[in-house]
Amino acid sequence: MREVSVYEPSKEISQIDKFPYKTLFTSSDESGLWGVKNNTCKQVYFDTVNSYAGKDHLHIKWNASKCNYIGIGLKWANYKVKNLSPIIPSAAIELRVRVDSGFLSKIPMFFILEDYAGKQCRANVNYLNLEGGKIDAEWRRIRIPLQAFNYEKRKVNMSNIKELRLEFQRKGDLHIDNIIIVPHEHNYKKTKNKFVKVLETYPIRIGAGKEYWWGINTKHSSSPKFGDSFKYESVVFDLEVAKKDQWNTFGFSPYKWMHTDVSSIYTTSAITFKIKANELPKLQTILFAYKGEKRRLQITLNENNFVHKENGIHEAVLPLKSLMGHNEFRWDSLKEIRFKVLEGSDFEIGDFQLIEFRGNPKKPNEWRGI
Amino acid sequence: MERNLNLFFCLIFLLTCSITAQSQVNKVEVIKNSYGNFELQRNGKPYYIKGAGAKDHFDLLVKSGANSIRIWSTNNKELLDSAHKHNLTVTLGLHVRPERSGMDYDDEYAVKGQIEYLKNEVLKYKDHPALLVWGIGNEVDLRYSNFKVWETIEILAKFIKEVDPNHPTMTVIAGIDPSKAYYIKKYCPSVDILGLNVYGSIENAGANLRKYNWNKPYIVSEWGVNGPFEAKKTSWKAKVEPPNGLKAEQRLRRYQELIEKDKELCLGSYCFLWGQKQESTATWHGMFLSNGNPTEAVDVMQYCWTGEWPQSRAPSIKNISLENTGWRKDHTLAPSTQATLKIEYLKYNNEEIIVEYVLFPEAFSEKIGGDIQKSPDPINLEIVEQSNNELIFKSPEEKGAYRIFAFVKNKKNQSSVANIPFLVE
Repeated sequence: MREVSVYEPSKEISQIDKFPYKTLFTSSDESGLWGVKNNTCKQVYFDTVNSYAGKDHLHIKWNASKCNYIGIGLKWANYKVKNLSPIIPSAAIELRVRVDSGFLSKIPMFFILEDYAGKQCRANVNYLNLEGGKIDAEWRRIRIPLQAFNYEKRKVNMSNIKELRLEFQRKGDLHIDNIIIVPHEHNYKKTKNKFVKVLETYPIRIGAGKEYWWGINTKHSSSPKFGDSFKYESVVFDLEVAKKDQWNTFGFSPYKWMHTDVSSIYTTSAITFKIKANELPKLQTILFAYKGEKRRLQITLNENNFVHKENGIHEAVLPLKSLMGHNEFRWDSLKEIRFKVLEGSDFEIGDFQLIEFRGNPKKPNEWRGI
Repeated sequence: MERNLNLFFCLIFLLTCSITAQSQVNKVEVIKNSYGNFELQRNGKPYYIKGAGAKDHFDLLVKSGANSIRIWSTNNKELLDSAHKHNLTVTLGLHVRPERSGMDYDDEYAVKGQIEYLKNEVLKYKDHPALLVWGIGNEVDLRYSNFKVWETIEILAKFIKEVDPNHPTMTVIAGIDPSKAYYIKKYCPSVDILGLNVYGSIENAGANLRKYNWNKPYIVSEWGVNGPFEAKKTSWKAKVEPPNGLKAEQRLRRYQELIEKDKELCLGSYCFLWGQKQESTATWHGMFLSNGNPTEAVDVMQYCWTGEWPQSRAPSIKNISLENTGWRKDHTLAPSTQATLKIEYLKYNNEEIIVEYVLFPEAFSEKIGGDIQKSPDPINLEIVEQSNNELIFKSPEEKGAYRIFAFVKNKKNQSSVANIPFLVE
């Protein structure tokens, strides 16, 4: 006889056990469906031969070449509200599928959960949960983990689910049976985009690392080349007038070709750099973003951008707010800073930084903060 | 009896030879030749790719001098078999889902599922005798924001290196920029070749690769005329398509002056598209019409690949105008009014030319890249009078955006086409 403590808790019932609506489809008379009317793009049959469960199963043939949408809906417990939230971590939609002949390793079929606000999230068949890695004449098991639905992105209320839809694309012929909710362990994570760098604290060195620069390749063009007059990266231009094919443009990523996010500081920021030259070159500066409608901002620098320093070293200041169209630019996804030499041939440019700037964007050289 | 036995052994021998030839794996590799240029070699011999993005018309492709096709996915083994029968090699695409199709590269489950599926596809096709190069992904960089996709490309390229030492790996991008060059160099060391889909941007592609410090070979994996995404739009946002004759000239120049000339890094090219598809219009990229008729672009490619024009050439529409206003301008017509469409074309050596005009509703689409677009159906064109160079027609009664096409063809159905979008208001 087992010794039992007076206070031993009762065995806990799992969330999936508590979930009452585990059956979505077993046969046509027990499960409500819509969208089963035949048309030129879709033929739906309830075949009674070789079913997996119940008296019949779903057989659908489709060809989407002339239709925008092909789908069928499962009323799932006659449209009762389904609260899937507690079972998301531990459950999957399971179904059996087969074809009449041959085999497929991919099928253009999507699963859509719709909530009572009409919002939809979707998932597709993943090779990892396709039994045997193929669909053939045997009934094969497919599982769609609830976590695989993009409900967070689509803001679907998983506590208030109305129905499941099956959507079909391109062309196919498939037998489907026994759509049920089953316990399922889903051991995969969703990570965050690691290719984002937020820059917030001045002064910020930009373009650190020669591997993030382009336009400098002495195998193909003797100028420009990397210089060494400044503390950080610099480029030396020695454009001989006779050599027409010399490159006159270079660029770099602010930070390792990541999405550089300066959105919180751009209104009070300026790009600063040094130029070593007897005569200032005429330069065009172009900024690129990875995203957005407006992906390019450009400006030709003028004398107001330069503060004369000693020994032929000039310091340039380019307030980001002085760039026309800066309001429409995605400053959270800065991609590249590029320079084109419009005039001038013998100079070195480098020491690029982002500094705090709170002066008049049109007259940066008059700001005392520099 | 002895004679029958000999016959039997002969048959067995022939059958064995045939099976061996069918299943022979061809060794393909990238080397640097004695000039210091990159070179593709197939079974130890130089193999310059004269290719097309193609799924059919293989007989004409071979007759025109091509040696290879590019296909974008592994869902049709028959294409490889058919290419092999035609003595064509295949750059075989592994369809890596682009982010723009909803793929989330931060979702481990989706990423791993895709990788395992594609590894299985590699194992299926790695010994196919037509296989030339693996194309891992097509334009995964188009409007992407998650650079993690390059990790998937590398995992697949590395896997191919492990299981298939006979075929080089390539990833195909939608034009080059410095960030893509950096990411592929850094994250995809197992990628041997860069595939460039370049239309308008082919003009600077070779120079830009060098500026971006790309130091491996490349294949121009898609090229042709400037795409709809690069075209001028009318005020009602219809894309303006140049007549076939101008597009043919553009193709010829690009092949001769840009592709062929880059001996150092370029391993060859695949013109786009040896077939037909809807991309803004039904005639933009396709070198064939929807009824299967070849256009003059086919003649141009034969000249590019062999140095000789075909004996029978397609006519060539050089200009089209509506109400005496050229195809580059906006055209507006009132409802149910007469309008005159004129075309200018070269007949070449054709005695007889057949001209047809067809009217379509404008096919606006927000789709990009190679994403599938639906073709509109033609609508009734009320012809008032028609000659070989001129059509007088009645504009539709219903207001809206339309596009009128002029088709000219010779007796062999070699064709040329031009169109003008117009607005009825």
